[in-house]
Parts: sequence; C-alpha cells; structure tokens
Amino acid sequence: MPKCTINGHEVEVKEGATIMEAFYKLNEGIAHYCYHPGLSVAGVCRLCIVDIEGNPRPQIACNTVVTEGMKVTNQAEKIKDGVKWVLDFHLINHPLDCPVCDQAGECGLQDQYMQFGKYSSEMAEPKVKKHKVVDLGPTVVLDSERCILCSRCVRFTDEVSKTNELGLFNRGDRTEVGTFDGKPLDNNYSLNTVDICPVGALTSKDFRFRQRVWYLKDSETLCTGCSTGCNVKVYYNKEGAFRVKPVYNEKVNGHWMCDEGRGIYKFVNREHRLLKGRMKQKGQSTWTDMDAGALAKEAYQVIKSAGEKLAIILTGQYSTHEYQILLKNLPTKNVFHWQNQAEKWNEFDGLLLRGDRNPNTKGVELAMNASGIKTDWNDLISGIKSGAIQTVFVAGPENMAVYEDMKEKIQSLGSVQNIIWTTACKSEDFEKLTNNVWLVPMKSYLEKEGSFINNQGLEQKFKKATTIVSEALTLAEASYLVSGQNIPIIKMEAVDTFIDASRRPDQVTLEHRKKNEFVYKRGSL
Amino acid sequence: MSVVSNSPEKSKWYLTGILGGLGITFKHLITNLFNQKKMITLNYPEEKYEYSARFKGNHVLTVKKDGSIRCTACMLCATNCPAECINILAAEHNDPTVEKYPIAYEIDILRCVFCGFCEEACPVDAIRMGPEWQTPGANGSKFIYDINHLAYRPQLKGGVVSVVDEAERHKSGI
Repeated sequence: MPKCTINGHEVEVKEGATIMEAFYKLNEGIAHYCYHPGLSVAGVCRLCIVDIEGNPRPQIACNTVVTEGMKVTNQAEKIKDGVKWVLDFHLINHPLDCPVCDQAGECGLQDQYMQFGKYSSEMAEPKVKKHKVVDLGPTVVLDSERCILCSRCVRFTDEVSKTNELGLFNRGDRTEVGTFDGKPLDNNYSLNTVDICPVGALTSKDFRFRQRVWYLKDSETLCTGCSTGCNVKVYYNKEGAFRVKPVYNEKVNGHWMCDEGRGIYKFVNREHRLLKGRMKQKGQSTWTDMDAGALAKEAYQVIKSAGEKLAIILTGQYSTHEYQILLKNLPTKNVFHWQNQAEKWNEFDGLLLRGDRNPNTKGVELAMNASGIKTDWNDLISGIKSGAIQTVFVAGPENMAVYEDMKEKIQSLGSVQNIIWTTACKSEDFEKLTNNVWLVPMKSYLEKEGSFINNQGLEQKFKKATTIVSEALTLAEASYLVSGQNIPIIKMEAVDTFIDASRRPDQVTLEHRKKNEFVYKRGSL
Repeated sequence: MSVVSNSPEKSKWYLTGILGGLGITFKHLITNLFNQKKMITLNYPEEKYEYSARFKGNHVLTVKKDGSIRCTACMLCATNCPAECINILAAEHNDPTVEKYPIAYEIDILRCVFCGFCEEACPVDAIRMGPEWQTPGANGSKFIYDINHLAYRPQLKGGVVSVVDEAERHKSGI
C-alpha cells in the first residue's frame, strides 16, 4: 500500500494504482478526457499532466503508477500552463457549434475550458472539415467534427459490450470514429457510449433536440426495467421525464445500464397515464370519471360484501412495503402472484439485463411468505370458474409494455363479477370489460418512495422525484381506502438516503412546494 | 401633513396667469392654422409615428438569404428571458449543415417586458427587436405570436435577412 502526496495531501492507495486513482480518492480536481474509471487506460488526451517531484518533465496521471513517497502536484504554474495549451490543441478543429449541440451545458470541453483554458485561440489555419450527423445505428448519431478522439466509445465496445463495432479510422487530424463498412452500432448497451462521450460527438437519437439539459432536474432512483435494479438518474421537468442515465454502484450495475432500461421513463409521462379514476357498472357502455380517492372508497362496499369471495392478484412492480400494507389491510388467503413470462426469468445476458422484467419479484414473494400464503395461478382460474371467487383486486403492472400477456389476462379475469384494477397507465384492453370495473390510477415509481428487492436479494431504497399525476394513489393508500379506512398521514423520513451532504438543501418549505411543485428557481438546476 | 396656504396677496394675480396660458394656446392655434407642416401632433390612428430602426419594439425573427428561418433553436433567448415568454420546440432538419431548427417559436407578447435580453443572447442574429410598437387587439386576439407572425408578417415584406451568414462563416474556416 504505497503512500503519496497529492497537492500537499497525503493519501494511501492500492498496490499498482495510478496517480489518477489517487486524485479520484482525494476528490481533487484534475483535467482529463480519455480516462474513465470503468475502462482501460488509453493515455491519449494528454490533459491529465502532473508534476512529480524529481522528474524534470510533466507526466500523465492516468498511466503513471504511484510509488512510495511520490510527491505529485497539478497546481504548479508550468502544469497549469501546459493543461491550457493541451486544451488548445483539442479545440483546434472543434466546430464550436454549442448552440446546436445537445451536450452543451454538461460538456467536458465547456467545463474544462472555463476551469483551465480561458485563452484566445492562436490558430490561423482553417478547421479540418469532417462528417456531420452520421447515422451510426438505431440509437446513436455521430458528429465527427466535435470528436476529440479520446477513444472512450471505442474502448467501451471493445471491453464492456465486447461487440467491437466502433473503431478509429485514418490518421493525424483526419482521424474519425466510425463503424466498419455496413455494420451499424447496434447492441443493447450502445447508449452508454453517449454517456461517456465527454463532448457532443455521440448523441442519443431518443433525446436529441428534445430539451436543453439546463432545463432538466435530475433525481436518483432505480431502474424498473428488470430485476437487476440498476441505480439510475432520471432527468425531468414540468413536461415530464426525458431521459435516464446510469449512476455508479459497485454492487449492482457498475457504471453502465442497458438501452432497454433507458426507455422506462416513457410510460410515466402524462400521455400514457390514467389521469382519473374510472368506473363502469355491468350493462353500462360508458365510463364514469371519478376522483381516485372517492372511487377507492366506493370500491370498499364491494370488497366488504365480497367477504371470502375476494382474491388479490399481485405483480412485481410495486415497492416492498406497499405489498405488506396491502396484505395487512385486506387479510385474505386468496393472494395470487401474476408471474409474467416466468419461463424467461432465469435468462441473463451476461452483463446487466435479466429475463425477469419486474423490479420487485422478490418483494412479492417475501410479502406472501410473511403472510404464510402459498397459492397457484390455476387455483384462481378454477375458483373463478366455480364461482368461489367473485371479486378480484388486481395490483396491475405499471409498465405494461413488458407484460406480453396483458390482453389475455384482462380477458380471462373479465368473467369475474367485480374487478378493482389499480393501474398507472391506460390501456385499450380495459374497454372490453363488461362486468363491474373500477380502475384506480396509481403513482409511478417516480412519484413515490419505497424499496425494491433485486434479483440478488439486495434491498435498495428509492425516493420520490416529482409528481406527474397529482391525483394518483400509491398501492398502500388505495389499500387503506378500499378497506374502509382513512389514509394515515405517513411521516417522511428526515434523512433522505439519496441526497448527498454537499448539495444545498432546497429553501422552499414542503407545504409551499406542494402548491408550486413546478415553479423552479432560476439558476438552481 | 403640511397645509399649504396661498397668501391672499399672491392669489390676486391669477388673472394674468390665465391670460398668459390662453396666449400660448392662441399662438399655437394660429401657427398651426397657417403653417400646418410644422404641426407636432398627429392624426392617430390614420397617421402613425415611425420610430427609428433601433427602437426595441415587437420582435422580428430574421431569415437566411433563401428565406428560411435563421433561428437554430439553441434556446439561449428562452433561457435568458426574465419574463419566460419564449417557447421553442426544436427538431432535426433534413439538411445536415443546418442540423437543428425550430418547428415552433412562440412569444407571449403580453408577458414580454421588452428588455431586449433575447436579442443580446442570440448568437446568430436570429431575433431582433423591431421598430413596431403597437400591439392592439380585440378581446380574444392572438397575443401569442408564432413563427409566421414573427418572421413573415406582411409588414416585414418577406422577412428581414440576418447579418450572420453560415456559408461565409464556413468559407472563412470557422
């Protein structure tokens, strides 16, 4: 365990660690582009130069191993001047089209120019023109002029996704990132290259030009796309959610996430959501819109009269404590687990994506085991046929896109006399139901707090990000109302697990914020 | 509170003040009658006063030489706007040299405070404050100006050409 001194601070690092890792460990600022903690060292950007005592020339921090007693600084005048002119080399052929570039606002070049550069360019020669708006594949667009050739994306396809689609072509200032002839960048992890691109050379087709990044707030939450439970950041504003990016978590997802998980923000936006509670009596052809809370209270009469003929159906898309509260409020032994494509649940693509597309399957099993319930789906079918079950309460899936048997399940449950279905999204299939139906609008995972238990049994908390459908209920709230109780006021935990200590707490009081949840303070993003 | 009391001696001279004022009125009446060209009032609304081209009135979106919209939808004006009255929807242009352009550009003119920050923020001279200063409208009029109004209203006679020319910029190697 060698010790070294970085800018006057002593730090102990692992055997074989580089100076860059020592900088990371101390949280000391250092300019760099090509180094990424999740990838191998390339040492091509030459921006991370540091001064090592006893060494006449500057060395790059990312590729120099720490030795015992090493004294390193990046605050020396010659290093600061060196970084400045290395940055000038990077920007020689950069088009400076920040106004039309999606990366503006979170761009490595902008940040580092303001921090280390601030020079006037000394280049008189015209810039080298390269390809713009190159269609790399179904998800990514390339702009070669903006590229600074850090090779992070090339190393990503080489080392992480192991698909080797990208490469560097030509030589010198005509070098360009590209794909081999006729082969698109098409793998389930391709959008990670957009995240790790320090400039705007790679942009995501899904997010391109939809918002400027400074209009978006971000909040850390969990990916609900599969049972891996990747830690993600969701970017949203008053118009809804716009994109998802991974957050580093060594135990779960490392630095990455899959492209499929990046689509999970879509269903939470208003155009897909059930905005009002809806009910339909048998024989009626039109729906009655109602307040969500009032509708749930209405459903209480049905549940009370059902008695033993009530069945509860659970899907693995709600948080762990919601199941526990639901089973406590509606004590019945007829609880069934709707297992979506159970035959695929053990599939794994070797990196992150798992076949079980529910975030909390383990949570359902835990809640059912805790209540001592063991049931089979066939019991439900036979119960419905024999008339032993006449009322069902379905905790329906919020992300319906991954439930391929949605239509057929709605049809098979449609023969029950009373259906109380809690759902975050609207669906055409509900229109075909002919018996008594109550559709209760649910909050999505962005609008509530709770925890998911992932495939490996790790329980992860997530917190509320925003409100999209203000009227919607959580499953816990709905269960209180349908069992004839009033919703207890749940006190928020004082310590939020995801807000780090360095971030300034919001000055707006909670009560005030509820009234103006979309009035953002200028400059606070 | 202070009470101002006019001294009775001073207030005796009110008649000369009235006559002096009437004298000015009659002087203007006679000069206007015999020298109508120098008259400083206007017959509004038949006659309108033209402000200088630098007046900060209603916004104009400039166009390129081919008549298409100059704006690149970078949203800097909308970000800089203190009244938050600018709303832009960006989209991908078919021409890769243009790349990004606005499919909707709306200014809520009743929210606008005519500060000119949008004009200052614009990197490509796409938005200017024009010399028009009237925004009348009947009840229910459209006060949210769209691209058609901002760039191609009849008063602009086909659009104001921007001073920033992309082709020339590319030629000079920028």
